Order: sequence, then structure tokens, then C-alpha cells
Amino acid sequence: MELYKRYVDVILMQKRTGDITPMYLIWENGQKYKIDKVLSRERRASPVGGCGMRYVCLIQGNRRNLYQEKDKWFIESHQP
Amino acid sequence: MEDKVIFHIDINHCYAQIEEMKYPELRFIPMAVGGHEEKRHGIILAKNDLAKKAGIKTGESLREAYEKCPDLLIIPPAYNDYIYYSHEIRKLYQEYTDHVEPFGLDEAWLDFTGSQLIYGDPCMTAGRIQQRVLQEFGLTVSVGISWNKAFAKLGSDLKKPSGMTVITRDNYKKIVWPLPASDLLYVGYATEKKLRSRGVYTIGQLANYPVRWLKESMGIAGEVISAFANGEDRSNVAETFFRTPVKSVGNAMTLIHDVNDADELRPAMYVLCEAVASRLKDHDMEGSVISVSARSGGLDWYGKQRKIPQPTNVSEEILKTAMELIEESYDFSIPLRAAGVSVSQLHPWHSKRQLSLFTDEEAYDDALRIDTAMDRIRSRYGFYSVRRACTLIDRPLTEFDPKGDHTVYPIGYFRGRKLSDGII
Repeated sequence: MELYKRYVDVILMQKRTGDITPMYLIWENGQKYKIDKVLSRERRASPVGGCGMRYVCLIQGNRRNLYQEKDKWFIESHQP
Repeated sequence: MEDKVIFHIDINHCYAQIEEMKYPELRFIPMAVGGHEEKRHGIILAKNDLAKKAGIKTGESLREAYEKCPDLLIIPPAYNDYIYYSHEIRKLYQEYTDHVEPFGLDEAWLDFTGSQLIYGDPCMTAGRIQQRVLQEFGLTVSVGISWNKAFAKLGSDLKKPSGMTVITRDNYKKIVWPLPASDLLYVGYATEKKLRSRGVYTIGQLANYPVRWLKESMGIAGEVISAFANGEDRSNVAETFFRTPVKSVGNAMTLIHDVNDADELRPAMYVLCEAVASRLKDHDMEGSVISVSARSGGLDWYGKQRKIPQPTNVSEEILKTAMELIEESYDFSIPLRAAGVSVSQLHPWHSKRQLSLFTDEEAYDDALRIDTAMDRIRSRYGFYSVRRACTLIDRPLTEFDPKGDHTVYPIGYFRGRKLSDGII
């Protein structure tokens, strides 16, 4: 499946310990999606370009890769 | 003593590869990272594989490059990204040893000697590092492994991309000695020419050439390259947090247009001197030798330096001496294209100053206060928020921020250490 790089707004929780967990992501049209679970967190390069901390997220039963690239967030989107 | 295990890791055509990582579609077209043509420092800084196939060479002008390959895409450098990723990759190296010595943005030496007890086989670990850099940063690196830094560096150049070359005491004569002498660290164009005139073309010939002659004609550098060629480089990989003491602070600039006399140049020199003064203050230093360099449109360099009676880090004082030096060393018969100022013989900055009968201390105090106020305003509101009125006369000429626009990595193999410190 072809993937597309889409920068998104993200609502995060930063814990006392400094750890960051993405809670929601907000699509371009304002639609808010809850991140049900973060399955893994590793440094990775993305096939759509860029690299950073990759959060494999479960969103409404779908797995999506969300990346923290320097100070921005992007998703490997299935939608162009 | 047991031999060391030293890695030299090189990010293959670093700037171009980072751009490809950011924008994968660039992998399928000839692309190069190059300077700004309109700012007149337009040269190729790095190229991708397709550009290399088209014959593009690092260091050539953008015009030459376009002639060879009209479809070439040139991307302006994003230094902040290159610095960011190279630091992140260095952090990865630091997981394996506390001796990581960077050499420019794209290269580093790692001393793996002690880490073998933890990580085991050096080749396996080097392979693991290559794999991790690819997986985590999307970049290929090539590795050279040897018992000394000079051969490790040579090794990383032999197989690209993602290559690994191990140079041991058993195989170095076979691998290293047939290579041209110019491949060796510290053998530049001038040295190569001298060696050639004596019939020395390869590293092997250099290794077997009498050191006495090399020393006679090249001084200590002759001894150094002979030792390098024989694998006797015993210099250590610096500890990760080693910082070379600052020896001089300087800035240089290719001007947006050529200038025809000293008065026209003065505002641009002001900007350079302000940057140098501000950086000196950041380091808590002041210096007593001021040097200028000037390059004509014909690309010849002129330079002159002078010791001043009182060390300084005030832009007004640096400018005064710098302009005197420019006027003495350059007659503007050919318009001036580039200029630079630097301050050396640095001492820690004492806010107490030896008073002199012949200097106007009040003027000094005023100039220092102006500098400090400008630095504070700029650090808060940006470089262009405050400027000297004289820089408004010719805005394009003075519209550059030498302190903020460029991060210069002055690199030298000896990094402020002396030969007597046990390099060879």
C-alpha cells in the first residue's frame, strides 16, 4: 500500500518523568482521533521521508505509524 | 602494548543523503546540495549517486555543474538539519564508547578498544552500528577499522556505500600501500606535488622513503606522514566531551557585490567586527592580535595582522585596526570581493583593564556598553532588530548575520594538541 507523509496536530501527555505519550491526533479537517494504545516506541526512519521517534499506534482498531520528527509530528497516512 | 581497535565512520555524501532521507523522491533524480548562486558562493557541497554518475564533482561551481547536467536539481543547504542529525547519530555512537571524536559533521573516530569486553567482536558491532544508523536515520555509513586513526580513516573510504574495511597489521601492506599517497590524511595538494617530484606516488613508497629526507624538505609534517604511512600513528581518539581551547575567533564573508574603496567596505567590516566581538564576549575572551584577509575579484588573497597594545573584544576597536590593516594591505586597484577579520592571542576577559595614558577610556567604556546593549537586544529580538546607521547606506552589502547564519566547524587533526603530546 502506498503511504503518504502528513503532518498532524497532536495532543500529548507529558508525565512527571518526562516521558511523552501521544493521546489524540487531529486531522487537517479538524477531526480528532483518539489513540487507543501505543504499541511500541522506537527511533526509526520512515519510508515516506524523515526520521525520528516512531510510535506505533492503535487508532479505532487500525495500526498507524506516528513520528516525532524534531519538533513536529507526522503520520504515514493511507490517504493521500 | 596491545593494539587499539579504532573505527572511523563516515556518513556517505552526508548533506545529499540527509536531503534524500527527508525527501525520498530525490533518490530518483540527479541532485546536489549547493551554495546560493546569487550570494556568490555557489559551489556543489554534496551530490547524490545519479549526480555523481553525471560527472558532478564536489567543490565545482554551480555553473560548471549545470553545463554537465542541465537537469540537475540544486538544493540550498539546510545546515541546521545536518547539524541536528549528525549530533543524533553521534549520540548513537556514544552508546558504544565514551571516546567519540568528530571530524567535521559527517565523520567520527570511535575508540572501541575497551568496549570489546562489553560488545565483543568489533566487526559485528560495526555492522550493527551500520544497520542501526540505516534503520533509525535512513542513512548509510561506511566504516574503517584499524589499530590507528590514519588507517581507520583510509579504510572507511575504500568501500562505499555501507562498506566495511578492516586493516590489520597482516594486510595493511596489501591494502594500504598500493593506494595513492594523496589518500593519506595530511597529504594535501602541495605535499603530494613535493612527493611526486621525488618519485613517491603511493603510500607504500612513502612508507619506505627515508624519513630524514621527508623531514628536511617538509619539517615535522614529513615525519608525521611517514609515520602515518607505516601505521605508526599513535594518537588517541579524543574523549567525547573534549573541547579544543579556542585559539582565535574570526568571520569572513563573500560580499554581495564587489567594493571599490575602503569607505564602501567599512559598513560590511562593521558587521563582521560586531560578530567577532560578540563571539569573543560569548567565550569570555579578549584578544590582542587583529588580522584581516581580503580577496580580490581575481581571487588572490591578501592578509595582514597587527598586535595592539591592549587586548580587546569591542567591535569599535577591532574595526579601527582592521580598517587600518585593509587600507595598508589592499589598494583597491582590483575591486574587493571578500573580506575577513579575526582576533587571536586570546586571554580570559577581565572586566578590569590596565589604564593607559594614551587611550580614551571613556570612549572604550561607551563602545563596550553599546556592544553589550546591541548583543542583548539581538539575543532577544533577533539579529536585524538593531543595527548601526552606517549599515543602512548599502543595505544589501550589510544584510548578513555572520554570527547566526553559519556554524563553522574549524577542524584540524591535531585539534589544538601539540606533536609533543604524543601524537606519533
